[in-house]
Amino acid sequence: MSTLAVLGAQTRANFTWYFWRDGEMIFWSLGIPVFFLLVFSFALGANNTRTASTFLVPGVIGAQVLSSGFWGIGAMLATFREKKLLRRVYLTPLPTWVFFAALVLYRMTLLAAQALLLALVGAFVFGVRFTGNPFEIAFVLILGAATFVSLGSVIGAVVRSTESANNIVSVLTVPLAFLSDAYFPIDRFPKHIGQILRLLPSTQFIDMLRDVAMYGAPLTHYTVWILILVVWTIGATAISARFFRWV
Amino acid sequence: MEKPLSAAIAVRDLVKKYGDVEAVGGVSFEVETGTIFGLLGRNGAGKTTTLETCVGLTRPTSGEVRVLGLDPSRRRDFQALRKRIGVQLQTTSLPEKAKAREILQLYAAYYGVRVDLPEIAARVGLEDKLDRLVGTMSGGEQQRLALALAFLHDPEVVFLDEPTAGMDAFGRRILWGEVTRLRDAGKALVLTTHYIEEAERLCDEICVVQAGKVVARGTPAALVAQYGGDACIDFSARGFTLIPELDRLGRWTHQAESWALAVHGDAGHALGAIVAHANTLSVAIDELDLHRPNLEDAFIAITGESLDDEKPSAAA
Repeated sequence: MSTLAVLGAQTRANFTWYFWRDGEMIFWSLGIPVFFLLVFSFALGANNTRTASTFLVPGVIGAQVLSSGFWGIGAMLATFREKKLLRRVYLTPLPTWVFFAALVLYRMTLLAAQALLLALVGAFVFGVRFTGNPFEIAFVLILGAATFVSLGSVIGAVVRSTESANNIVSVLTVPLAFLSDAYFPIDRFPKHIGQILRLLPSTQFIDMLRDVAMYGAPLTHYTVWILILVVWTIGATAISARFFRWV
Repeated sequence: MEKPLSAAIAVRDLVKKYGDVEAVGGVSFEVETGTIFGLLGRNGAGKTTTLETCVGLTRPTSGEVRVLGLDPSRRRDFQALRKRIGVQLQTTSLPEKAKAREILQLYAAYYGVRVDLPEIAARVGLEDKLDRLVGTMSGGEQQRLALALAFLHDPEVVFLDEPTAGMDAFGRRILWGEVTRLRDAGKALVLTTHYIEEAERLCDEICVVQAGKVVARGTPAALVAQYGGDACIDFSARGFTLIPELDRLGRWTHQAESWALAVHGDAGHALGAIVAHANTLSVAIDELDLHRPNLEDAFIAITGESLDDEKPSAAA
């Protein structure tokens, strides 16, 4: 079996074991985001749910990107380690990168499905239209995924126990989603706070995603933010590669 | 490092410290191909640390480890080594929502080998459990699945850490049979255990480990002969008397009709002599009892401790 075939088999196995056979996972990754999109669109939209939903679809998708990285990679690796699953795999000839790539591929495939589902709900329930170039949208999504997968992997590399990983990830994911322009506009905060929040990679990513996907902003407009996200990705990857432990 | 060329595993002066705590304090042994080598000791004696150092999970503080001539603490050697060794860890957790079949297939893919799944499953007694989820299997079944993962790629050396902890009698019989089969196929096997019976029945050679040190080493028979003490023959016989040839056999004690002989070495010979003499005297022997020293006696003599308080259900 070639390495790529092993990668495919491992990715499929991840899907089967951690998604299809885990009802809780299906609920949290598909049910909850759709629920958020519906509830917030009606609640924030008042008599203009389409405007609200146009804001929310990229926001909720962006929040899912955050949680894919923090939960799907960070907390997952810590759990694998604590359950002594990592050390068993470490003793086989499976290359390290294949193990990681399969986990990331699984989460990215799931993320694509989540994004598609949210976009469809937005389009059919609220009449949301996507005006951006699909390739540019895909680029921003992949860049954001890379950023938060690598940030998540820092947690998975550094944090020893499942419990503390779960705590850190909860503390990071929930407030970040609220403070990063995902569920409601940070323009409504006092101006200075909004300026500070725009320094967060999560805010930059979600704003960029929204502007490119919904409001037809050109990607070239965001060169600086793109570079910042690339730096986060490289830095976080370097840190997790340095500190990652199998045992 | 000097070692016999045929040794599959050579450990010399292995020391492992965790902070100030010395888990392993200078362990040395060699394991030849085609033998089952047992590390016998109580929990916390340093067996697992020693084994995990051999497979590259733990880095030695000092000392040397060679497995198939390779040093598991060196990255490149470790990478070459992991194709050639099989390991069953003490606590192997496999994904709960995975089927046994899927795990076996995936591990076969990791090693790049084709396996006959039904055959592998049958060898560990899981032939009708292939479609069970790991999470619904019993502890013993999971252990046997972990055993299959340790040999499905036909490794040259197999390490088993407390392989039968928590297993029922059926699981043990299967595991012992498979371990013996692997030995007969020319593999070198290292297993840790705190079960005397397992060590005595299975191992060709044993290291008794206590507080991080090897306190005795040898075949089970040699350990028993050296440390097990005397065999004891007890009987009662009305009108029995000693003659010089019998008296020389060992230490006699008697009270009324009850006789006891502590004999070092060949208890069978002594027993024959006693029976022959009783026949000559036309004396009937009742309640004849022979206690041969076993590995447990040897273990207690060696360590001053017994393993009794460690129940078979203890997994750690």
